[in-house]
Amino acid sequence: MNKGAVSQVQRSEKISFQFDGIDMDAYEGETIAAALFRAEVSHLRDAPNSKNPRGLFCVMGVCQECVVSVDGKIVEACRTNVSDGLIVNRVQYV
Amino acid sequence: MNVIFDIAVIGGGIMGCGAALRLSEGGMNTVVLEQGDIGQGASGVNAGTLSMQIKRVKLMPYAIKGHEMWEKMGDQVGFHRTGGYTLAFNDKEADLLHERMSMKKEAGANIEFVSPDKIISSEPHLSKKIVAASYCPDDGYANSSLTGQYYRNRLRELDVSYIEKFGVTDILEHEEGWKICSGARTVVAKRILLAAGGWCKKLAAMIGADLPIRARINTVTVTERAPQLLSSILGHATGLLTMKQKENGTILIGGGWQGKGTPEQGRGQIDIKNLIPNLQLAKFVIPALANIRVIRSWTGFEANVPDFYPLAGKLANRDNAFILGCVRGGYTIGPYISKLMGDFILGRETEMPLFDPSRDIIEGRLI
Amino acid sequence: MVSSLIGCNMYDVVVIGAGPAGANAAIDAHDHGLRVLLIDEGRDAGGQVWRPKSGSILKASVTSIERKGNQLREHLQKSEVKRKFETRVWHIEKSDNGGWIVGLSGPDDEKQVTSRTVIIATGAQERIIPVNGWTLPGVLGLAGSTALMKENLLPPHGRSIVAGTGPLVFYVASEIQRLGGNVTAISTLNSKLDWCKALPSMILKPRLLFQGLCWVLSLYLKRIPIFWRTGIITIEGENAVEGVTITKVDKDWAPKKDHQRYIPCESVCYGQGLLPEISASRLTGADHYYDEKLGGWVPTIDDLGRTSEKGIYACGDNAGILGVTVAPISGKRAAQAVIEDLKGENPGAGQSNLKMMQKFGRAMTVLNIPRSGLIKFIDDETEICRCEGITKRDIDHEIAHGAQSHNAVKSGTRCGMGPCGGRFCMDTVAMLTAHHTSKTREEIGLPTARPPLRPVILDTLSGDLDYDDLPIPGVSPL
Ligand SMILES: Cc1cc2nc3c(=O)[nH]c(=O)nc-3n(C[C@H](O)[C@H](O)[C@H](O)COP(=O)(O)OP(=O)(O)OC[C@H]3O[C@@H](n4cnc5c(N)ncnc54)[C@H](O)[C@@H]3O)c2cc1C
Ligand code: FES
Repeated sequence: MNKGAVSQVQRSEKISFQFDGIDMDAYEGETIAAALFRAEVSHLRDAPNSKNPRGLFCVMGVCQECVVSVDGKIVEACRTNVSDGLIVNRVQYV
Repeated sequence: MNVIFDIAVIGGGIMGCGAALRLSEGGMNTVVLEQGDIGQGASGVNAGTLSMQIKRVKLMPYAIKGHEMWEKMGDQVGFHRTGGYTLAFNDKEADLLHERMSMKKEAGANIEFVSPDKIISSEPHLSKKIVAASYCPDDGYANSSLTGQYYRNRLRELDVSYIEKFGVTDILEHEEGWKICSGARTVVAKRILLAAGGWCKKLAAMIGADLPIRARINTVTVTERAPQLLSSILGHATGLLTMKQKENGTILIGGGWQGKGTPEQGRGQIDIKNLIPNLQLAKFVIPALANIRVIRSWTGFEANVPDFYPLAGKLANRDNAFILGCVRGGYTIGPYISKLMGDFILGRETEMPLFDPSRDIIEGRLI
Repeated sequence: MVSSLIGCNMYDVVVIGAGPAGANAAIDAHDHGLRVLLIDEGRDAGGQVWRPKSGSILKASVTSIERKGNQLREHLQKSEVKRKFETRVWHIEKSDNGGWIVGLSGPDDEKQVTSRTVIIATGAQERIIPVNGWTLPGVLGLAGSTALMKENLLPPHGRSIVAGTGPLVFYVASEIQRLGGNVTAISTLNSKLDWCKALPSMILKPRLLFQGLCWVLSLYLKRIPIFWRTGIITIEGENAVEGVTITKVDKDWAPKKDHQRYIPCESVCYGQGLLPEISASRLTGADHYYDEKLGGWVPTIDDLGRTSEKGIYACGDNAGILGVTVAPISGKRAAQAVIEDLKGENPGAGQSNLKMMQKFGRAMTVLNIPRSGLIKFIDDETEICRCEGITKRDIDHEIAHGAQSHNAVKSGTRCGMGPCGGRFCMDTVAMLTAHHTSKTREEIGLPTARPPLRPVILDTLSGDLDYDDLPIPGVSPL
């Protein structure tokens, strides 16, 4: 596999956060979505009606597919930065 | 179209469609004329509360009948009987609650007073600051979004004609009765029934009747799917809040806070300075709402006259023109009163009295 | 107390959206002495096309696209335009004094601002035709994938299929390769002939043409197969993408079922061009009309971007998908209109080569116009409304039972009532309704525009208050 332009990239400090109880790495200043994407966690949630798995889709805060739960609030993973120690959970529907 | 209809019903909301169904069953060749789509006015955007506690005393018997009809429509309209609380948070509100609910109870509603503790045990997410409350086990809700689908299906089943996107622009006398125009398109009918909700004033004026109709513009807000926070419907002693959590987890917040606009200008808009206190009040009552996302706020027009009683009867004392509108709590009462209206036009005895539009209409107090 | 929530700041112009159109509008208006506030939900200016890199990237090579974004950001910095980033406009409302109230949800406490005028520069969103499997994790919007790559320098996982229409397909594929990803195949509904037809307009912008040719050439050199006149008919996989089936299409883009091919892959980037993001302009009550050559519904505007609502202006892709060559100019022109209207001056913004650029932009948009056969790609079980899980079968059923407009389909099925506000199902619902009822897009209409423009946490709207301070206006009519 070619490494492409990424090989010259210098990223910020590593921090860690939790997704559904699992420890994950992230770079300071990136979004929850980016961190999960790098960790190859693509399944972010199950849709409320069909229960089908869902993941990142529009990546611009429109489709609401990437929502996760942080501090009891639903946020768009693609528009919310991670921070060290952040607890992120999959959204559960009634 | 060369048909001469027995009656043209102008307005395809609950009132118009309900009456049209009855009229058609009674043998009249009926057409419903609707400026937009069937059931997209107040009937399709209201908060869907089917509560005895927010009904006017004098309208209680109609509300009880209406409620029974919604229950029969059941799943097709998303009916749920959940029971409902009305809450008071200070002494003034508690007095108001007692006064009003006692009268409604007397009028036949199944209302009891309950202690704040009892509420909290069944609704643990409510504010602990409740001072007094009443409860009605019959209260519930239906899904007003389904009004259009429901009535359109009934009209089609009974083969009742309806024309959507037919905004009536003129009503002219005609040898057969009335010629109803929408721009260049016309429909001829022997009789007309105005059931155009917030738009009735303009239509009545087309045949020379000046009615003191005003339109309120109510706001409703919905959140996204939330964890279970509420199992009954809620009201507030002042009437300024209604809340329910639907089966899918979304929470509907209403209470009659006013938006902006007039029926003539289109659908109306929310008014930020009234929306915010509406949401604040909701959050006060269920603190956990703070973290939930609001996804849509909208408005709808609800017509009334100064005494806040319905207009249901002959229009301008004519034998071939009728009006049905301005029914407070019209979503609940609509299916029933429209049936009565149908009977009235068919020349039948009505099961309960109607509300003659030519009465002296004087500014009234609301109970 | 409510008044404490209402900002006392009165701006001359609030610009919503800090992409090339909005940012340029803001700079010009500011330079002419107007009090300007520029708002964007992003971290910084640039919009979708010149999206800034994430704060986590300290050093990386800079592409030519990025350079333009950096220039814009520097320019803004120098001009000292007042900016609010990571701030969303959730509402726009006419105020009683003839100006406009703009509702905000952002990191600071200012929940509302008022302004004499508003320039709407909210850009575009993707049009993605639903196909079976499009909800699987691993499927990204085509433009969405560029966002991921521009912001994070992350290419999609594993083997990628890039599919859809227009130039974006080639840009995305070459970016994936550049960032170390692996494109297994490209599938485009366009034919080589479609591109030949666009060529005369493209020659007007030789640099962009050259850039495009470089993308395609780089793909040829890497021997990445390009399947012309094909589209994805299903995306397969259990819990994530495992492969796609592509199929040949006829000239109306209807699938030819006997010409199918399965390609295993782990990610799909998929989209059919852009739709103008008009929810903000619709909220103001401005008139809109449908023009497929501009990407769909757009506000009715004059030469300079004045809408039918006094004080509301539109520029950039939300006023018609004409792309990044036109956007800065249209932003400047909207600023010109505001300056004329507020100050009575004529700053005389350059007309320069606007017509030529519009021609180029339109040629690109035309490549994306959905053709009638596309709806045959959508099978009955496909979820059209991703939020509410409403399938094509549900929608067809509603239309067959008399729903004739967008509002009617929406209220009967819940399609479009979810958190995305119908943004990813609206166009498909209208396509289906048009197909079944032979009504025009205008007749079918759009669902009524309602706030908030994006979901907002209730608390950020309501703030904290004492019960006794609630402005309960006595007893309500019951
Ligand atoms: C936001 C809101 C919340 C409410 N909440 C509740 C509640 O929780 N519980 C409750 O019981 N009641 C509630 N109500 C009241 C209830 O919704 C109404 O009383 C009832 O739906 C009125 O029915 P209608 O048929 O008279 O009016 P509408 O449903 O408004 O029907 C009138 C129809 O006439 C059509 N029309 C108008 N002009 C023309 C023309 N020129 N030509 C042709 N057609 C025309 C309109 O398009 C419309 O479809 C609420 C009302 C609103 C607005
Ligand atoms: S991926 Fe669409 S909102 Fe985040």
